[in-house]
Amino acid sequence: MSAVFSIALEHLWLSVAGVFLACVIGVPMGIVILKIRVLAGPVMGVIDILQTIPSLAMLALVMFFFGLGNMSLITALFIYALLPVVRNTFIGLTGVKSELLEAGKGMGMTGWQLLWQVQLPIALPVILAGFRVAVVTSIGIATIGTLIGAGGLGEPIWRGIQLVNTPMILSGAVPAALLAIIADYSLGLLEKSVVSRGLQVKNTN
Amino acid sequence: MTKTRGFLVLTVLILVLALIFTGCSGGDKAQQENGKVVIGSKNFNENIILSEILAQLIEAKTELTVERKQNLGGTMVCFNALKSGDLDMYPDYTGTGLVAVLKQPVNTDPQEVYDYVQKEYNDQFKIKWMLPFGFNNTYAVAVRQETAEEHTLKKVSDLTPLTGQMVFGAEQEFFNRPDGYDGMTKIYNMKFKEHKAFETALKYQAVAQKKIDVTDAFSTDGELITYNLKILEDDKKFFPPYFCTTIVRMDTLKKYPELEKTLNLLADQISNDEMQQLNYQVAEKKRDTKDVAGEFLKKKGLI
Amino acid sequence: MSPLLDLLLLRWPELLTATWQHIYISLGSVALGALLAVPLGIWLSTREHISRMVLGVVGTIQTIPSLAFFGFVLPILGIGILPAMSVLFLYSLLPILRNTYTGIREVDPALIEAGRGMGMNSRQLLFMVKLPVALPVIMAGIRISTVYIISWTTIAALIGAGGLGDLIWGGMNVYDIWLIVAGTIPAALLALLAGFTLGRLEKTVTPRGLKAGYTSGEGEFNI
Repeated sequence: MSAVFSIALEHLWLSVAGVFLACVIGVPMGIVILKIRVLAGPVMGVIDILQTIPSLAMLALVMFFFGLGNMSLITALFIYALLPVVRNTFIGLTGVKSELLEAGKGMGMTGWQLLWQVQLPIALPVILAGFRVAVVTSIGIATIGTLIGAGGLGEPIWRGIQLVNTPMILSGAVPAALLAIIADYSLGLLEKSVVSRGLQVKNTN
Repeated sequence: MTKTRGFLVLTVLILVLALIFTGCSGGDKAQQENGKVVIGSKNFNENIILSEILAQLIEAKTELTVERKQNLGGTMVCFNALKSGDLDMYPDYTGTGLVAVLKQPVNTDPQEVYDYVQKEYNDQFKIKWMLPFGFNNTYAVAVRQETAEEHTLKKVSDLTPLTGQMVFGAEQEFFNRPDGYDGMTKIYNMKFKEHKAFETALKYQAVAQKKIDVTDAFSTDGELITYNLKILEDDKKFFPPYFCTTIVRMDTLKKYPELEKTLNLLADQISNDEMQQLNYQVAEKKRDTKDVAGEFLKKKGLI
Repeated sequence: MSPLLDLLLLRWPELLTATWQHIYISLGSVALGALLAVPLGIWLSTREHISRMVLGVVGTIQTIPSLAFFGFVLPILGIGILPAMSVLFLYSLLPILRNTYTGIREVDPALIEAGRGMGMNSRQLLFMVKLPVALPVIMAGIRISTVYIISWTTIAALIGAGGLGDLIWGGMNVYDIWLIVAGTIPAALLALLAGFTLGRLEKTVTPRGLKAGYTSGEGEFNI
C-alpha cells in the first residue's frame, strides 16, 4: 500500500510541476496580452494549435528533444497547461466590470495598482478555474508519461495492460482516477473560497 | 483591504508548490551524481526481467544505487538513450545490434556476430558488450497449433502459399527493421492479406482472439506455452543469432570499475529454457518481476 | 523536409488507412455518444434531482485518466476497436449531456410562455421551441467532444485499435521522429477541421431571431 502511495505522490508532483511552470509563465503572459492587445490573437492562436497535438504525439516529440524521463513529461504537461492558464487569466481580467475600473480610477489608482488591487483579485477565481482544469488534465496525461520513461501511476497501468494483469492495472488506475477526482473537487472549493467578499454576497441568490 | 485573502491563498499555494517542486526534483542526468547507475529496458517482458536481474545484482554486489527506467520503448529508444547518457546500460541482443543498429547483412555465426558488434560499438559509440548470458532469443514465426495442424505447417516456407488468406501481426519494431517484416516477406516470397501492428505483449492475445493468424515470436517467450503456439522452422536461415547480454557505456565502466566484473558474473548463467521459465513466471503466472529476478539470482548463488 | 517526403512516398497507403480508421473510430464514438446523450439530456432537463446524480457520474467518468480507462476495459472486452470505441463513447458523453441539459434548461421562460399561449402541448414545445433554441449549445457540446476524442483516439492505438496513433506509437518505438510527425499532422488537422466545421454548423443552426445575442458555449475540456 505504501508503495502505491509513494507512486501516487510522485504522480501528483509530476502533474503539478508542469502546471506550476505554466502558471509562472502563463499568468504574466495573460497580463501582457491584456496590456498589449494586438498580441492576444496570435498568442492565443499558437497556444490553441499546440493544444490540438494529441498527447501521445506531444510526449513522443518532446522525447526527441529532452530525452527519456520526468523532465520530458513535465515539459509536455507545461505546454498543455498553458492554454487554460493563459486563456482564463486573459478572460478573467477582461471580464472585470468597467464600473469597477472606473471606481478605481476615480480613487486615483495607477494602471498597475488597478491590476493588482482590482483586476487580479476579481479575476482570481477564473484564473484558478483554469488552474483546476490544467491540473485534472495533467493528472490524466501524466499516466501515459510512463511510455517515455517517466514515473507515476502510469507504470503499473501500462505494465498491467501488457501482462493482462487486472489487479496490477487497477493498482494504478484506481489511485489515478481518485487523484483526479480529489484534485477537481478540492480545487473547486478553493476556487469558491477566493471569490472577493463583495462579489460573494451578490452571488448568493 | 479585500485583496489580501485571495493573495494569501495564492501565495501559500505557490509556496507549497515550490516546496514540492524543489523537494522532489532529482536530476535526470543520473551519471552526474555520485554512485548511481541508470538501468533501462525495452518494452517486453524478457528485457524487463533481465534489467531487474542486473539491478538487483548491482545493488547486492556494489555500493552503487540503481535507478530503473524499465519498459521504455523499442531498441532505438533504448539505444539512443544509452548513447546520450540518459541510460548507463540495458540488455540487448547481438543480432539486433548487427542488423537493426549497424545495418549489416545477416550473419549466422554467433561468435562472428558478437565480435563484430563488440568492435563497432566500441569504436563508434563507446559502448561495451558484456559476456553473453548464454541464451539465444531468436525471432521465430509462430501460428496457432490448430492452424499448423490444419495446413500441416512445419517450416516457414510452408506458409508461403497460404499468406494470401492470412493476416500477419507483430510489434511495431518488427515492421521497422531489416531483419523484420520486409526482409522476411521478401526472402520467403510472402504476400499477406493484411498486416497489423500490436503492442509486444498484446500480439499473443491478438493471435488467440484470431485477429491475426501469424506472428513473430521471440523463441524464449513464455506465452508460446500458454497460448499453445507452434513455431515454424526458419528454413531459409533468415534470422541472425540473438545472443543477449548487457551493453554498457564505457565512461560508466571507467567511473565504476567494479561494474564490469559484477556484470560478467552473469556470463553463461541463463540457458534458453531458464529464460523461457523466467518469462513464463511473469507473463503467465502473473508473478512480480522483482520476486522472479531475486529468486533467480539466489538460486544461482549470485546474491 | 526530405525524410518526411520520402516517408510519405513510401508509406502513403498506410497513412491513408490509418487516417480513415482514425476518423471512423473517433467520429463513430462521438456519434454514438450524441445518440445517447442528447435524448438523455432532454429527459433530464425536467428532472432536477436525478440530473444532478447522472451529471455527477458522467463527470466522474470524465476525470478517469485515459490510459487507466483503457486498462479497465481491456480484461473485459479484449483488444481492438470494440474496447477503444466503448471508452471513447463514454468520454464523449459529458460535454454533450451537460450542454443539452443546460441548453434546454436555460431557454428563456418567456419563449416557453409564448409557446404555451399559442396552445402548444409539451411535445410541440420541445420540438418547436426548446430544441431549436438550445441547438447551438448542444452543437457546441458535440464540437468540444469531437475535438478531444480525435486527440484521445491516438491513445487507443496502445490497445490495438489502429488509427493515427499507430504511426505515432510506432515512431516512438523505433525512434523515428518523421513517423511521429506523419501521424501527428493529420491528427491535429482533423481536430482543427472538426472544430472549425462544427463551429460553423453551430452558427448556422442558431435561430435567426437569436443570432444577435449569439455566444459560443465554450466548454472546459481542452485536450
